[in-house]
Amino acid sequence: MAGRQLLMTFPVTESSHRLAEYRARGGYAAIEKALRSMRPEDVTKQVTDAGLQGRGGASFPTGRKWQVVVPGDGQPHYLIANADEGEPGTFKDRWILENAPHLLIEGMLLTAYALDARHCFIYIRGEFDLPYRRIAGAVDEAYAAGLLGERILGSDFSCDLIVYRGAGAYVAGEASGLISSLEGKKGYPRNRPPRLTVKGLYQRPTVVNNVESLSNVTVIVRDGIDAFRAVGTAKSPGTRLFSVSGHISRPGVYEVELGYPWRKFLDEDCGGVLDGRALKAVVPGGISSKILTGADIEHLTLSHESLWEANSTLGSGGMIVVAEGTCMVRLLEIMLRFYHHESCGQCTPCRHGTGWMHRIVARIAAGEGRPEDIERLYYVAKYNDGTTICGLGDAAGYAATGILDKFRDEFEYCIEHKRSRYQGRLE
Amino acid sequence: MTEIVINDRTIDAQPGQTVLEAALANGIFVPTFCWHPKLSVAGNCRMCLVEVEGRGLDIACNMPVTKGMRVLTDSPEVKAHRKAMLQFITLNHPVDCGICDKAGECRLQDYHYAYNGEPSLSVEPKVRSTKYYNLSSRILLDNERCILCLRCTRFTHEVSKSMALGIEHRGDTSVIRPVADRPLGEDPYSDNIIDLCPVGALQSRQFLHKTRVWYLKPTPSVCPGCARGCTIQVWHRKAEWRVKALDPAQNNAIARVTPLENPAVNGPWICNKGRDLARLLERQRATEPMLRGAPTSLEGALERARELIGAARHPVALVSSWGSNEELEAFRRHLGAVFTSFVKCDAVAEPGERIEDQLLIRADKNPNTAAAEALFGRAEAQLPEGTDLVLVWGEGFDFARLPRGARVLFLNAYLQPENGHADVFLPITIHTERAGHFTNFQGVVSAFQPCFEPPRGAAHAEALFAALAAPARVHA
Repeated sequence: MAGRQLLMTFPVTESSHRLAEYRARGGYAAIEKALRSMRPEDVTKQVTDAGLQGRGGASFPTGRKWQVVVPGDGQPHYLIANADEGEPGTFKDRWILENAPHLLIEGMLLTAYALDARHCFIYIRGEFDLPYRRIAGAVDEAYAAGLLGERILGSDFSCDLIVYRGAGAYVAGEASGLISSLEGKKGYPRNRPPRLTVKGLYQRPTVVNNVESLSNVTVIVRDGIDAFRAVGTAKSPGTRLFSVSGHISRPGVYEVELGYPWRKFLDEDCGGVLDGRALKAVVPGGISSKILTGADIEHLTLSHESLWEANSTLGSGGMIVVAEGTCMVRLLEIMLRFYHHESCGQCTPCRHGTGWMHRIVARIAAGEGRPEDIERLYYVAKYNDGTTICGLGDAAGYAATGILDKFRDEFEYCIEHKRSRYQGRLE
Repeated sequence: MTEIVINDRTIDAQPGQTVLEAALANGIFVPTFCWHPKLSVAGNCRMCLVEVEGRGLDIACNMPVTKGMRVLTDSPEVKAHRKAMLQFITLNHPVDCGICDKAGECRLQDYHYAYNGEPSLSVEPKVRSTKYYNLSSRILLDNERCILCLRCTRFTHEVSKSMALGIEHRGDTSVIRPVADRPLGEDPYSDNIIDLCPVGALQSRQFLHKTRVWYLKPTPSVCPGCARGCTIQVWHRKAEWRVKALDPAQNNAIARVTPLENPAVNGPWICNKGRDLARLLERQRATEPMLRGAPTSLEGALERARELIGAARHPVALVSSWGSNEELEAFRRHLGAVFTSFVKCDAVAEPGERIEDQLLIRADKNPNTAAAEALFGRAEAQLPEGTDLVLVWGEGFDFARLPRGARVLFLNAYLQPENGHADVFLPITIHTERAGHFTNFQGVVSAFQPCFEPPRGAAHAEALFAALAAPARVHA
């Protein structure tokens, strides 16, 4: 166990996702408490004071996002749980959707209460099958138990929850792209301003939060600020779910107390690098966060501040372990193929830049690299950074420059010798 | 007023304006592809990136002005990014300007010369896509040239409301495609997307590969298609590019018609009927004066006409609603006292034509009914028994309605069987051959200029009216 835990606090069984067992674990006590003894602004204040940071990738303070929405300003507000978990390497929300769906629903009820949102949505990744069935089943259970719908638990608070399945677009995981998709349009992200908390779904104030963030809201309201802040570090309170994949002995979803030593987590909790090989690099949180070498992470802890210092981020918690002997040119080619394939094509730099970078790296990997290619990749990444509507273009650039910064020699070797230093192997 | 600073110049911007609007209103040019004043902000071309001091780069088209903001539109950083955006846009854009109809009036071409000017940095093969995709019987789409600014889709959603276009696929394989059950061919404003297209992706089938735009001259004119009286530009061959060896008819032909922006009448749009002006106007012309079908001289015809007018006791005139304000006034001055005059409806809607809508198209298919009715009243034409002379000016009169025994004086521009039945027939010019004004249904007066020389034999109606009142020399 990587430190104390807040979410994975129960043994997963065939029925542990059901309402009865969730209630037996003390479920829906938080919403009952909130409806009985808290005003909406108290919930917001509690989440703000607890210092909860968004778990979707940007680590934006959740409470600050909520504060823009003014309860009772005469217009509808919407809450959306972003369950379109599409960042490569990331499958941690899936654990919540499959095993603790009621934790999410309770968190959404609390958030909807705080935001004065009558309608909530769960936008779930289209490829998720079991998670969809589990969350849809949980919503049905909650409706049947009077935990959703009109006058919840006998209070004046009513809230409907709709589960909506996406159609398989990475960019629909971006909050405004998600909203476009939810409105029935092509999943194009939107220009800011206006912010989504001012004009979001159907042009109304909308809060889009990650599944894990919303689940943490339940914990914060249930156990209180102090209990939450007691876990983690001062700047990164709480825990994070990490989905660990790649060259690792025990891949899977782990809950890690923030501030936990990284190397210790990989070696002890995850069983070390596969086959006892040396650690070459780690993608910390989904491929949109900058890659770090084995040496880089030696003294880092798993906390936001520690990663920011290393010029990367915890991102979405999708940790990909890369063992020594892996060809980084091939790795980057695969990453860029993803961005190229998933670019929505709305704005110019990303539409063309992702494909451009992908074709350059594919050419290098195929042994047809040119000396100016590396410089060209930096050029494309530079002019994708901050010039696009959403972050996909920037992220593609970060993935490229992240790997180029650390492993430039491998690319140069590949260009000069027309072949990879590692026979182009990933395994 | 919100005071902002653009490039060290203090500007009074309107609250609610964007930085782009404020800059353009004050003569500071910022290049754009996707932005259009009459369409919603898409912000996808990223060409209008500007630098805000303290905030970095962002697009000007979606940036509200805030008091005291300092904007740079020409900083080294902005210039470098513009250059890069053009590198991205031209990454998969074919360099086929030599065979592209848009060449010469293409934004991408202009901006490339103004802001980039360098060859592509890419050595990768370009993304191939559909050429000559049939959007409708009027419009072809070249997906390789398309830069996905989405002006056309926004136009069909926001202005013409046909919702006929959308985007299929994603990334660099995105393509504009018609929506299955909403054919673009039924959108009477569809051709505006050809003008809106900042590159050569949308092409007019009528105009396709007909000529290069730099051989053409736009003459300001007014569309005679309905009572809206949209201001238009009639494009025709420049005098210095008149062709000798090829079909000389090209020299006097309308090459194309585009809108002339006019906020008082049509904004930047016109309907497809206006684009098809050539079909309306370029019919076979009458060029010979006739007496009961027998060709005669203009002097002879006028002589005979004056005799008939002098002898008539109950003459009636049917005045053209296609006549210009000047011609109508000339008729009133010279002949108004002689004839009992009625306004004639020259043209009615053709089968399948849209009758009327909320945007531009009016049910009255004549351009100057308003001015004609102001002079000659709104009464229905009366041709009682005893009418002994009918002056018919223009088309649209059913000769079977003539009272028994009445003589006919007919002024018409086109070759028609009725011409030969008139006692006196006088060929006249059409509105692309003369200057004048039309008054639209709202009372807005718009001017048109001559585009072509009249055919030999056709006279201006204004001169004919004077000569019908008293002997005068008429040039034809």
